This record gives sequence, C-alpha cells and structure tokens, in this order.
Amino acid sequence: MSKRSPLRRVVTYGGALLLALFWFAPFVLVVVGSVLPEVNLVSFPPTWFADPPNLQTYDYIFTGKIPESFEQRGALRSMISNEVRDVPRAILNSLVVATAVMVINLIFGSLAAYAYARIRFPARAASFNFVLMSRLIPTVAIAVPYYLIVQTFGGINTYWALIAIYSVLTLPFTTLVLTLYFRGIPEEIDEAARVEGASPWRILRDITIPLALPSIIGAGLFAFMLAYSEFLFALFITTTRERRTLPVILGSLSANTDVTWNMLMASIAVGTLPTLLLAIPVWRFMVRGLTSGAVRG
Amino acid sequence: MTLSPSSAGILMAAPVLVLVAVFTLYPVGRALYQSMHIESPIFPSRFVGLQNYQNVLGGRYFTDAAWTTLRFAAVTVPLLVALGVLTALLLNESFVGNTLLRVGMILPWALPATVAGLIWKWVFLDSWGALNAGLYTAGFIDNYVAWLTTPRLAQMAVIVVFIWTQLPLTAVFLLAALQAVPAELYDAAAVDGAGVFGRFWNITLPGIRPMLVIVALYETLMAITNFDIVYALTQGGPGTATTMLTYFTWVESFKKLDFGVGSALAVLIALGSLVVILILVRAIPKGALVEERA
Repeated sequence: MSKRSPLRRVVTYGGALLLALFWFAPFVLVVVGSVLPEVNLVSFPPTWFADPPNLQTYDYIFTGKIPESFEQRGALRSMISNEVRDVPRAILNSLVVATAVMVINLIFGSLAAYAYARIRFPARAASFNFVLMSRLIPTVAIAVPYYLIVQTFGGINTYWALIAIYSVLTLPFTTLVLTLYFRGIPEEIDEAARVEGASPWRILRDITIPLALPSIIGAGLFAFMLAYSEFLFALFITTTRERRTLPVILGSLSANTDVTWNMLMASIAVGTLPTLLLAIPVWRFMVRGLTSGAVRG
Repeated sequence: MTLSPSSAGILMAAPVLVLVAVFTLYPVGRALYQSMHIESPIFPSRFVGLQNYQNVLGGRYFTDAAWTTLRFAAVTVPLLVALGVLTALLLNESFVGNTLLRVGMILPWALPATVAGLIWKWVFLDSWGALNAGLYTAGFIDNYVAWLTTPRLAQMAVIVVFIWTQLPLTAVFLLAALQAVPAELYDAAAVDGAGVFGRFWNITLPGIRPMLVIVALYETLMAITNFDIVYALTQGGPGTATTMLTYFTWVESFKKLDFGVGSALAVLIALGSLVVILILVRAIPKGALVEERA
C-alpha cells in the first residue's frame, strides 16, 4: 500500500465533514428545537438560548400536562392543540399496520420466491415480470381507483385496507429480493432432500428458510419501513384520529396553527425514534446484500 | 396429498400474483375508464370521451406543472448521480468515522418523506427558520430571507430536501458497484502511470456505468412521482412554483374531487414515465445490464 498523500486526506476529511453536516444537522435542530421555549425560537433577532431548555413538550405529548408557557397571562399562546397527543396513538397505528404488512410479506413473499427460484411452472417468467413491472405504475395514477375499491368494500378508515394496499406495494420487491437470494442457495441441497421424498413445502420450510433467514428478515423489515412511512394512501383512507398513521398526523400537525414549533419538533423526535431503531438492521441488510453481489451492477 | 411440482409452484406463487394482479389490472382499467367520464362524488358518471384529456392538455396549469416537473427532474437527477459518485468515492476511502457515516446516512432515507419535508420546513421557514436564524447570528444577512415564498428559492428548497432523502440510497448503490470493480485493474493502471483522474475516467467510470444507469433510472422515476416532500414543505407554492404533476393530480382528485380529470392526469403521468423509462433503457449499452453471473 502506498501512503495516502496529505492532500487526499484533507479532501477526504473535508468531504466527510460536509456530508455529516448535511445529513445530521437537521436532526440536531429537531432535538434542540423540541426542548427550547417557543418564544425564543420565533423571536427576531434570534434568542434561542436565552432561556434554559426543558422537557415540557415531551411531558405534554405523553401525559397531557400543559406546559407552563400556555398558562401565563399574556402568553404567546393561549390555545393548545391536543392533536399532538395523538402522536403515540399514531405510532401504534403505524406499528400495527407495518407489522401486518411485514408478516404478509414474509409468508407470501417467501412462498412466491421459492416457486420462482426453484420450480418450473407455466407462465413463470411472464408472471414474474408482471409482478415486477406492476411497481412502475406511479402510485398517484392508481390512487383514485384504490380509493374507490376500498370504498366499495367498506374499507375506509380500517387497518386492513392499508395493510392490503401496502402489501401490494411491497410484495413485488420482497419477491424479487428473495428470489435472488434463494437462487444463491446451492440447488444440490434441494436435490438431496427431493430424493429423500420431501415436498416443495417441506424443502422451503426446513431448508431454504433457515438458510436464508437473515435476508428474509431484512426483506421483511424493508417492507415494514415502507409501510410505516407511507403517506399518500394513509392520508385518504384514514379519516378519524383513532386510525390515522404517524405520517398523516405529522402532516396534519404542520398545518395546525395551534401547534407550537417546539411541540411539532418534539412530535417529530418521538415519531422518528421507532424508525431509527429499525433503520440500522435494515440498512446493514441492504449494504451486505448489495456488496455481496446479490444485485449485480 | 401429493401435488405435481408444477402445480405446487403455481399454488405458491398464487397469493402474490392474485393480489398484485387484482390491485394492478383493475385500478389501471378503472383509471382509463374514469379518465373518459365526468366522475365526481356528487354527479352521476357520464361518458365524455377524450374531453378530460383535452381539458387537461389545453390548460395552462398542466403545461406549467409538466415543465416544473421536467425541470425538477433535469436538475436533480444529474446532481444526485454526481453527488452519489462523489459520496461513494468518499465512503470507499478509509477514514476515522467512515462506519458512523455509512450507518448514519440511513437516517434521511429511512424517515417518512413527509417528516423530512417538515424538518426542512423549519430550516427554511421565512419568519423564524433555523437557516435564517443561523445566517443572521453569523452576520451573513441583515434581514431574514423568504426562502419558501420566493419561487426560485422554494424550488431550490424542494431540490435540497429531495437530494437529502435520496442521496443515501444512490451512494450506497454506487458504493456497491465501486467495490465490485476489480482491484487488479487499478494496480495495472498505476503501473502504467495513470493519475487519479485517468484511473477514474478509464477504470472506475466504465466499471460502474451499469449501476449509474440503474440509479439514474430509479431517481428519475422518484423525481417524477415525488409528492410527499412538496406536500409537507411548500404545498405546491408559492403560487404554482413547486406544483409538480403529482401534486397537481392530487389537488384535482382529492381537493377538487374531480376524479375524471385526476385520472386523465394520472394516465398521462404513467405514460410520461413510461416514455422516460424507455428512453433511458435504450440509452443503456447492450449487454451492460445482463452480466454473466460469476
């Protein structure tokens, strides 16, 4: 190995610093904004740090204890919107929907992937291409028909309508990824089991799934994240606050003039936490899958 | 019960196939049908032929939104690909904090796009945004800049947020391609005396070209169909400065409840992205994508 030149190191660290700033600064701002009094945030010239930070916004979201600044006479705000108190409930809604979507993806995605990876059947290539191509249709193009389908079946404001739609949106990708992974498993193992008289179901359950478990979990989490983040369909399918998912609530909060900025930032921080906890395993799965050549350029 | 392998295969693939087929064929058919009717929750449906399309295509607002969308894609996609290559090259170097950056860069990508839009709304906000506060405190500006209510600046803001959310994926795909370029090629070039740029131009770039095309294709689709960020950040404004086709379609369908015009728009967007995809796919050199598996 030749030694890195000083210039190269300067450029590398400079670039890394810029990137880190670009990517992470907004998150720091959210956390900082969520603990500062709103009066400091909105003043001109800016006096962000004139008063000490506090955790009253978080307290209100979880316990309903109204922050002091709302109770003083002549305060900046006299109205408080309890919409932010829907955030924990919305997280729960999103988790329920996303978990169901993940389970559906794991079960049906693995089944289909095994069929596409290992079994010859009529119209195999054509149907595989059809499943993949279905995702090239922009969602906004099918939003209205989806709405009408859901309406016809009485699915407005239900979990299952969201679960069905997100499953359709995620299954093609899960099927593709798992098919590629299953193909990577040596076929001789299957062959040996088949000679022993094992059915395709048994081979899938006892051999393929255990062998490909990390990738299967990764693909499932990927579907989970897409379902957890989806906004457009959730916006028109959920109509009451009991059913709204997190992206919908946060979108609505931003348009609510009675929501203070520090309250909004606290809601974002709370709502982002579950994503962050999940994000790292998903990302490691993707990076590993990519760099191991599953998706070859 | 014993099944022939072939029917077992059909059974195993059936749930996915049926679900996807039902939720693809019917909606597409329905969208085509609606686009030729006057369709709204309050009036009975009536066949009007291609009138919806005429209304859409003849209107100024459509041409406006189409141009905004095209300009947006034309600026962001090349920018994203270039930044993606730079980021991938950077992450391919060894430096303290590399792992942190690689893992941490997932955050913008993993966030719901509406949340990304909201966070940045606070950054860019005209009256007390973080950017204004920062620039003012640092002495760069004497008065707050109206980032989100000046058309050009608002467009720029949408571009920044879009790049913020998309760069991680672009970079990680290109990084994967970068690592697949055989190291021997670089060694050979170094022996031949090729400089940094020579090696990049003659080895790296051809090596990652298929992935560049894939990424460009994917990001073009994302740029054309991007909706959440505009919804959360600018609501299409100021005026119509950031009203792109998807946001326009959403307004027509769900704000004005004109499902006929909305569907006509949706069909046009679908056709438009198909054309873009075909053009880009044709631009791929033959055999570049279907590599023999090692």
